[in-house]
Amino acid sequence: MNINATLISQALIFAVFVYICYKYIWPPILSTMEERENKMAAGLEAAKQADDSLEEAKLTYEKELKEAKEEAANIVEKANKRSSQILNDAKVKAEAETEKIIESGSKKLENEANKTREELKQQLSSIVVETASKIIDEEIDEKKHENIIKKAAEEI
Amino acid sequence: MAKELTSKSYIDHHLTNLTCGKTESVGWTCDHNYYDEMGFMAFHVDSITISILLGVAFVALFKLIKLNPADQKPTRMQNFVEMCVEFVNENIKSIFGSTDNKLIGPLALTVLIWVFFMNLMDLIPVDFLPELTKQVSYASGIVDDPNDAYFKFVPTTDPNITLGMALGVFILTIFYSIKIKGLGGFIAELTLHPFGKFAIPFNFALEIMQLLAKPLSLGLRLFGNLYAGEMIFILIALLMFFQSAVFGVLGLGLHLLWALFHILVVSLQAFIFMVLTILYLSMAHETGDH
Repeated sequence: MNINATLISQALIFAVFVYICYKYIWPPILSTMEERENKMAAGLEAAKQADDSLEEAKLTYEKELKEAKEEAANIVEKANKRSSQILNDAKVKAEAETEKIIESGSKKLENEANKTREELKQQLSSIVVETASKIIDEEIDEKKHENIIKKAAEEI
Repeated sequence: MAKELTSKSYIDHHLTNLTCGKTESVGWTCDHNYYDEMGFMAFHVDSITISILLGVAFVALFKLIKLNPADQKPTRMQNFVEMCVEFVNENIKSIFGSTDNKLIGPLALTVLIWVFFMNLMDLIPVDFLPELTKQVSYASGIVDDPNDAYFKFVPTTDPNITLGMALGVFILTIFYSIKIKGLGGFIAELTLHPFGKFAIPFNFALEIMQLLAKPLSLGLRLFGNLYAGEMIFILIALLMFFQSAVFGVLGLGLHLLWALFHILVVSLQAFIFMVLTILYLSMAHETGDH
């Protein structure tokens, strides 16, 4: 257990190993660590930013969704209004048309009736005369009995 | 001339380094009979070899692992290595504050891992390597008696190793003291405190003691702790001399207990050596008053 030149040798060996560590071991490990630290910091920052923009996008999305919903509701309401209006108009028009048709129909009917009546009136006089002459077997002067015939015709 | 195996010879054998040195009578030799003749020019071949091997193991462990670039998942060994570096950096930061000293990090890392590895040798059962050396050197004809082959395999139980490292730290301390404060500042620090310029010799005596005590305590603390731990292992191993099953089991249990406890000592002493290294260097960087 005596002190000898081993001490000096060990001091020198120590120096050599410290130098090796200083030159070849320490720098690459430390630089890798520092680089990774920086990368992680950047990554965390980016993640935070992404979170923020996600939040923002969510807000925008919700706002736009709400607006779209409102607009859709508006459009539907408008469409409903418009359809009911169209329906109404069509109804009114159809009613008017119907009335018109009915009216013209009844007018035509009346005309037809009048015409028939007129014709009947004219024919009746001759029929009556004919019939009467047949009945009484005597020619009746048409002119003479014109008044009577007229009266009869009018009574029809 | 086979020696009788006694507890004294057993302990002696465990505490003797394989030494090569220069002697007056036969010049350079590794023969154990001349150990007493060797003066300062002697080398503990076992301590030096193991410490170099462990230093190489440290370099290999930290250099040969694959370092994935920063944008990839780090490998497992990379995680371990980075954990060590992080740990060292944390300690430096807590002691130094911030520093632009580029050497302190590698220095502290080397000290931590290397000393830890050297201490860890203490957990190898006390007889494994010495017996192996005995048998190998006897079989290969290097020694005539297996008991003449010495091998002490825990470098940090050799004060030369711990004090050698402390010397390295001490030189760095002085170097940085002079670099930061200038030669004048360093001398002023040594002579003008604590009693001002009228008591320069007294101040110097105090301060130089304080200065020298640092590396001495640094090296001897590590040595003392590990030497004591090694000693206890050897003493527990002595229980085997009784050649009884009861003592054998007792010895086994004690070995286990002491080894478990020693894991703490092994890592703690490595940590303390590192922290003190950082601390002494940070004191060298201090420019303010005491």
